[in-house]
Amino acid sequence: MNPFWSMSTNAGRKRSDGEEQGGQGEQRSSPARPSFGKKQLPSIPKNAVPITKAASPASSTQSANGTHASYGPFYLEYSLLAEFTLVIKQKLPGIYVQPSYRSALMWFGVIFIRHGLYQDGVFKFTVYIPDNYPDGDCPRVVFDTPVFHPLVDPVSGELDVRRAFTKWRRNHNHIWQVLMYARTIFYKINTMDPLNPEAAVLYDKDIQLFKSKAVDSVKLCNSHLFDQPKIDDPYAISFSPWNPAVHEEAKEKMFAHKVSV
Amino acid sequence: MSWLSRLNPRGPGTRTGRHAAPSSPCTADPETCLMVFENHWRQVSGVLKLRESSVGGYADDLTAVRNHTDQMLCLLAEESPAGGDIESPAMGPILEMVVAENILDELVQWHLRRGLDPDSQLELLKLFEMLIGQSHQPLLLHSAVLQPLLSLLGACVDPQLGCSASLESSLVLLLNQVCVCMAKETAVLELIFRCGPVQQGSTNLLIFSLLVPFIHRDGSLGQQARDALLLVMATSASNHAVARHIAENSYFCPVLATGLSGLYSSLPRKIEVRGDDWHTLQREDWMGVSSLVLFMNSLEFCNAVVQVAHPLVRCQLLDYLHNGFLVPVMGPALHKSSVDEMIASTAYLDLFLRSITETSLLKTFLRFILLHRHDNDTILDTLLTRISSNSRLCMVSLSLFKTLLSLNCEDLMLQLVLRYLLPCTHVMLSQRRAVRETDLYGKSADKFLSLIPECCQITAAPSSERDDEPAFWGKVLGSPTSESPVNPRPSTPSRLALFIRQQSSGGQANPPSSGLENAPSSPRGTVSSSLSPDSPMHQLQDASEGETGYLEYLRDARKGIELCSWACRDWSAPYDGENPSPNSALPQPPPPMSNPSLSMVQEHFSIMDPAQQRAAVVAAARAEWSSSDRDRGEWDVTISKNCISLTPRSKKRSLLPSSIPLQSSSSTSVSTEITGAVKTVSQHSHSAPHPALYNGMGQVELTDSVDERMDVKKVKRDSDVNNSVVESGMNGSMGMCPVDYNDFHVGSSMKSSQVQVKPHLQHQTAVPSSTQECLQSESQRSPVPALTETFTVPCESRGPESVERLIEELLERAPSEPLSSDSKCQGISIEAFHQELRELEERVRERRVLLHSSEESSRESHTATAPSLTDEDCLPVETEQRASETKPDSSAPGVLSPARPLGQPLAQPYTGPFITVLFSKLESMMQNSLYVNILLTGVVFQLACYPQPLLRSFLLNANMVFQPSVKSLIQVLGSVKNRIEAFAAAHEDFPAMLRKARRFLVARGKLDWSDSPMGVPHLRRSDSLIKSRKPSLGDLILRHTNSPTRARHAAQLAFAHVRDGGQSLHSALFRGGAVSGASGLEKQAEALRVKNAVYCSVIFSEFLKELAALAQEHAVALPFPPSQGTEE
Repeated sequence: MNPFWSMSTNAGRKRSDGEEQGGQGEQRSSPARPSFGKKQLPSIPKNAVPITKAASPASSTQSANGTHASYGPFYLEYSLLAEFTLVIKQKLPGIYVQPSYRSALMWFGVIFIRHGLYQDGVFKFTVYIPDNYPDGDCPRVVFDTPVFHPLVDPVSGELDVRRAFTKWRRNHNHIWQVLMYARTIFYKINTMDPLNPEAAVLYDKDIQLFKSKAVDSVKLCNSHLFDQPKIDDPYAISFSPWNPAVHEEAKEKMFAHKVSV
Repeated sequence: MSWLSRLNPRGPGTRTGRHAAPSSPCTADPETCLMVFENHWRQVSGVLKLRESSVGGYADDLTAVRNHTDQMLCLLAEESPAGGDIESPAMGPILEMVVAENILDELVQWHLRRGLDPDSQLELLKLFEMLIGQSHQPLLLHSAVLQPLLSLLGACVDPQLGCSASLESSLVLLLNQVCVCMAKETAVLELIFRCGPVQQGSTNLLIFSLLVPFIHRDGSLGQQARDALLLVMATSASNHAVARHIAENSYFCPVLATGLSGLYSSLPRKIEVRGDDWHTLQREDWMGVSSLVLFMNSLEFCNAVVQVAHPLVRCQLLDYLHNGFLVPVMGPALHKSSVDEMIASTAYLDLFLRSITETSLLKTFLRFILLHRHDNDTILDTLLTRISSNSRLCMVSLSLFKTLLSLNCEDLMLQLVLRYLLPCTHVMLSQRRAVRETDLYGKSADKFLSLIPECCQITAAPSSERDDEPAFWGKVLGSPTSESPVNPRPSTPSRLALFIRQQSSGGQANPPSSGLENAPSSPRGTVSSSLSPDSPMHQLQDASEGETGYLEYLRDARKGIELCSWACRDWSAPYDGENPSPNSALPQPPPPMSNPSLSMVQEHFSIMDPAQQRAAVVAAARAEWSSSDRDRGEWDVTISKNCISLTPRSKKRSLLPSSIPLQSSSSTSVSTEITGAVKTVSQHSHSAPHPALYNGMGQVELTDSVDERMDVKKVKRDSDVNNSVVESGMNGSMGMCPVDYNDFHVGSSMKSSQVQVKPHLQHQTAVPSSTQECLQSESQRSPVPALTETFTVPCESRGPESVERLIEELLERAPSEPLSSDSKCQGISIEAFHQELRELEERVRERRVLLHSSEESSRESHTATAPSLTDEDCLPVETEQRASETKPDSSAPGVLSPARPLGQPLAQPYTGPFITVLFSKLESMMQNSLYVNILLTGVVFQLACYPQPLLRSFLLNANMVFQPSVKSLIQVLGSVKNRIEAFAAAHEDFPAMLRKARRFLVARGKLDWSDSPMGVPHLRRSDSLIKSRKPSLGDLILRHTNSPTRARHAAQLAFAHVRDGGQSLHSALFRGGAVSGASGLEKQAEALRVKNAVYCSVIFSEFLKELAALAQEHAVALPFPPSQGTEE
């Protein structure tokens, strides 16, 4: 049943933590361009807009001396990078993320569900981090295809993250926790205050129907797996059908690596 | 092909019937040759036989034989194998005949019987060399060839015949050829090895022993001999018997090692220094010094031997290098009393360390540096103290430490820094968990950046306008634009965007700065860029430019961190505050504190008398070993401290003693205690200098610390460390000028020595009860060094958890040899001092009794109004400690636990001598010369690259709360900032001077680069900074000083600029004052002061950016997984 998914980002690097140092080079900091692509989805936080709030409060206090304030962008960028390295260090099971090329505030991700009601689901999503991070709201998680789930908005595909992070507290809350949460909802289903009431009701009243709907949803998502990424970005995660010529080598490497470890 | 195949079948046949060989069918050509050969041989043998019957040589005979032999051997050499497969080619007919009739042997024997005159000896050597070098057949596999060769060679060793100088080159060449053959045909080695004893009773491996004397020869002869030896080494690597022979029966290793000693002794004692900035020996420096070239050749050879030789040989060589070169030669050399010699030996050591590539050899050197004790001090401690010395010695030492840091050696880092941080006593208890935290939101970076003095953030516009020079400079540099004052960075609409763009483009995006980062090719670009990077304040064209500089720092930081964490990926522990456990390490770290700081100070002083310095150093080193050492040491130390500090206060003294007892508690066994005491003694001496350092930095703090210490005393436990610190602090408060110390090193050292004597006396008088102690301590002093060495051994064996243990284990891991050598040394020293130890033990016992009696009383009297009281305090503490110690003997943690309950601060937060020196040096940045600052910040940068959370959090985490007595890097930098600002406020034209200083630095850098376009680092930062860190830059500096022609010229130019710059700086300063009649000297001094301060301001702001960049990069760095054992 499990097709051997080959997942690749255009940049060719996913989680490189296991790799040798080469992977750690400059790529780690997401190089990006100042200008955003022409086609912008409205839901995307506007990265091109000046992020004056970005600087940590400390830096803003310093803004009196002009030079200092100019480092603000570095702080934001590096905070996000640090978050990303935290994600990597967590080695979250079945979750892969990749900051976008254009903005460190937008991450592409995919979750592999390995058992439970949503077994075999492969859900692509995008994480939007508020530009006043870490002092703003919690990041948003939007599934590319709205999954049939009580906590996922059936229209926008947005996951209800806030219920888990009512108040985003710097130093305590991290993006990896959000990702972990996004995974957890597929294993432990909560029907309180649903974004998708239908799913919630079904789950409570007619679990069988819910199950079949979930399976349908999984199938739907998987049928769109090979679609072009919704957001045009060099680092967007895109899937392609298994092609031995392309993927066999990588697969062997992965397995060999595991053995040696 | 066809020819070969035709002959093929013949091979076996000939073999079976050797004697028939000559007659066997052959192709025309070989056959003819054979006939010619036979012909020659017939004639020669006629002569030979004649000779046998009638004694007495005729010249004619000799000539005839010679001529015929020539011909014969030429024929033999040119003969091709007769066929056969590649594995075992059949012999050619001539060779068969040679083998069958043993022709060569007869020839050589005839010569030998006849008496070899040098002439014919030479002739024969050449013949054989030709034969072996040119033959198409593996002649040496046949004993008919090998034996005569060995006989001939044997004659060369013959004491009567000897080997005259004229023969040497032929001999070595022949041997070289033989070795080349041997490398091709491994079996030859075995043959030679077996044949040897028959021919040559003395040694099995004649070839080898013949070569050994040439190891250290100069020129091509030596090179050939070394090459040949290396071949032997490589060939014998897999042959245990031969390796054993080399190790056991040859003088190879001793000759090699002691030869190094000999060569070292002929090195220049003083290095002629060309420039202010010279601080390290580069290739260009030593290529011109023949003695150094000779030495480096031999060292290189050692390195190569270690690389290829059999483990047995390697071990032995390393052993000899340690015991025959490092210990007896390098050790004393590093402790020479004259500054010039210290500079030279330190630079040599640095050069050696940089030249060695073999890990095990490197380990031998490191073992020497870390563990060997010379006059009680480890080499490391001695070297540490030098950092605080005057500028040249300081620079050389700093660059040595830079080299050491770049090795990423766990043992070294453990010894230098980590052991002191391991207990986590420098952190508030509540903060320990924060050690591992990463600074996610750039708070630390922000903090560092906020420390950039306002006055250094020149609002470019006004200041630049002020002096008309910008335009001028702009022209000169070819980048007028860079100078043009622009309004401060316009607030770009999107900072982030800007930032991102730059990052992605790598500087290529903006045309003006395009050259900055990566393009060495455009010096101009670099110049402008260099300016911009200097500071965001530089507001060149646009905000982006300013940030470019920071981006560079980020990149550097990332590279540094990645390299470092990659190199450290196989370390035994993460050093994150939990692993290794702080408890396990606790006992050791605190003691060293007092020692290291002291030692450092002493160094300054000690320039004059190295012995003191060493003692201090040693003491510091010992502190690690065990608290017990400290106890004794403290007693002594107090004395020494008093002397050094010159402190009138009785309190201090009292404090010191109390601290001593605390330390003693840790020591378990009597013997250990004694040793500990000895160590402490040395420490004491160190402690005295310590205060001076503190004073220099912040007197105010000192006073505070004193109070604290008083409290601590009550606690008793912790008091040890604290006390020492307090004392130092007190001394400082007493009115010594810390800052000045550096400058006054020489003078001070004299003073200090005098002072010391006095203190002893005072101590005795002041404390009646302590007199005994004093005596004891004095008596102990002499044995101290020995003791310390011995002591280490027991410590190691005892506490597996201890840092020493760890180090030992680590060292053992790779080369087992070094350890053994070390242990040997220790053993020796132990024996020597055995008796002394016993005596000491007895004394200690006596002392204990006294202590016990006085315990109770002492506790009550903490205030220390009376000197005697302090002593008493100490006593009780000791007793307590002992009790506790006895229980935990083996485990350090146990010791600690008892201490804690008693007092609050317990373990002294001592961050180690290295940190202490670096910080004190940093605090005096304003007074340091430009080059010292460049090196200094480079070393700190490198230190801060280490990813270990303990180190990282200590240096870079601005949020950490340390114990009050622990100075943080932020604090140190803050004080520098204040001073710079005060200075700037006091000098009206500071901004102008600052700009000039920057320009000079840039110009200087530019010259360098234009000279060598290849290595162009960008000038982005103040180029000088770059230079300090980057090898290439360092090269530049050196190049100026030493190197030939172009480089030198460029260097001179650059220096000229700098000098001019300096003068103009001065002149700027003294525009008004110059006219006045102030004495020239004063003016000069003042000018120097101003110059240093201004340059310091430039470096300082760049340094802060570097640190900020490091802090940020650490937050996003990923650890490397340990290598899977594939690597060595």
